[in-house]
Amino acid sequence: MLTRQEMELIQQEIDGANTPDGSAALRSLLEQNPEARRVAAELRRVAGLFARVGERQSPPHLKQSILEALPQPAGASPSAFVRWVAQKLDVVTHLLEETVMNKKAVLIGSAAAAIVIVAAGLITGFPPLGSGAGTIGGVERASRYHGRAMTEADVSLKNPEIQALFQNDQILHLVQSDAFHQLMANDAFRGLMASDIFHQLMASDAFRAIQASDAFHQLQANAAYQQLQANAAYQQLQAKDAFRGMQSSAVMHQLQQNAAYQQLQANDAFRGIMASDAFRAVQANDLFRGIMAQDAFRQVMANDLYRNIMANAAFSQIVASNAFYQLQSADVFRSLSQSQALSQDFMREAMRSQP
Amino acid sequence: MKETPLATDGQDGQDNQDRALVKRCLENEPDAAPALVDRYQQRLFNVALRMLGNVQDAEDVTQTVFLNAFRKLRTFDPRFKFFSWIYRMAVNESLNQLKRRKQTVTLGDDSDLMASGGAAGGADHIAEAEDHVGKALQSLKPDDRAVVVLKHFMSFSYQEIAEVLGVPVQTVKSRLFTARERLRAALDGGVQ
Repeated sequence: MLTRQEMELIQQEIDGANTPDGSAALRSLLEQNPEARRVAAELRRVAGLFARVGERQSPPHLKQSILEALPQPAGASPSAFVRWVAQKLDVVTHLLEETVMNKKAVLIGSAAAAIVIVAAGLITGFPPLGSGAGTIGGVERASRYHGRAMTEADVSLKNPEIQALFQNDQILHLVQSDAFHQLMANDAFRGLMASDIFHQLMASDAFRAIQASDAFHQLQANAAYQQLQANAAYQQLQAKDAFRGMQSSAVMHQLQQNAAYQQLQANDAFRGIMASDAFRAVQANDLFRGIMAQDAFRQVMANDLYRNIMANAAFSQIVASNAFYQLQSADVFRSLSQSQALSQDFMREAMRSQP
Repeated sequence: MKETPLATDGQDGQDNQDRALVKRCLENEPDAAPALVDRYQQRLFNVALRMLGNVQDAEDVTQTVFLNAFRKLRTFDPRFKFFSWIYRMAVNESLNQLKRRKQTVTLGDDSDLMASGGAAGGADHIAEAEDHVGKALQSLKPDDRAVVVLKHFMSFSYQEIAEVLGVPVQTVKSRLFTARERLRAALDGGVQ
């Protein structure tokens, strides 16, 4: 058994830290002690293996990423400030258009935000086209739902597509659920539905076009995406301040440090959605990129009402439900979300279906 | 890769260059920050990579370290060594990252350390060594791993490691010994 001092001599020799006297003492020890020779040989083998491992080149974009993330120097000149802002904007464009694979959560978050907005529009009714009024059909219906009992007079249209939807037990269960009730009663939800920014986004041609695209539809129907929506870490992330401010790389940095973001990156569903063809197709879709570049879209995501909804348990429950998955997968979904009349029919039928 | 930040023109010269760069950064000279990043980003990235075993995480940690360093630059005391200061940030941030994961980093076949793209020379035996070393490193406790990384990949002296980690030299030796014992066991069977 080697003493501590003997082990230290061996280790220091390997590390080049022995004094001449120490090296001499070690040589003597090695001559006399087989165990010392064995230990020294093994430690040299370990050190030798490390010596064969080279330094990794850092990613080529790392330096630029670091510099872009640095705070603006205090006292910088206005022109320097303008350059700094331009750099930030360039980062955003860069992130949204190209190298997002390193910062995937933002894009998937954006995609999810778009989908969730669509979902919200579906549940409460699509904003009326050409209407500048603050109240939309869905919110009005929601108010009625809580304000008085429905009468037969309200059920004036029995669209076969809507009726077909309600033949599905899960969808029926969804609209009869407490979560659905709670969401309809949620002030933030109703406020967002009535907001101008939400109207602008939902009424935009680009938003409608992406909704109607096959890639977007496939993404919504993707099982991995459904799992992601049900992921608690993802839901937490959406409610974070950092999430709303993806316009700056500093906030990106904050996002990356977020515990929920870390969990999300380790989540199989999240990885699955990243690797899915549907997601990639949506990501590469010009229309989708156009939506994310819209001021209205960013305003919606930065809106407190929207964030409150993202953090709302009832809403999360609905979005994560199988019924909602089926609803999104239904062919009639696209028609619903693009037609005020159909969405109102949906709401009427939902109310009529209450137990 | 055995060159250390202190090896090119001696520790004092290196420290002086660091101090000069820090001073220029604080005076908002436009070229100072890029120069400081150039000087340390490669090595900090490697520290984080060996600590974490994942390129993306290492990249994030490196960026975080620089961001924090520049934010706190005015608090840096020039009587001390800049390299100790910033390496300590890198190690601590890596340890924080490991805590955030709340799970042991395991290196499967898709480990970033398995890829040979960045290994010097790119030869098969080097990639194989990197694979073994990467796996063995991840088997260590994070504190022990930090000592091994600074010793073997950064070629720091015991004293320098002690300064970076803020522990006594004897603790460095003790951790290094413990880590090497464990590495021996971890490497047995897969490494010639």
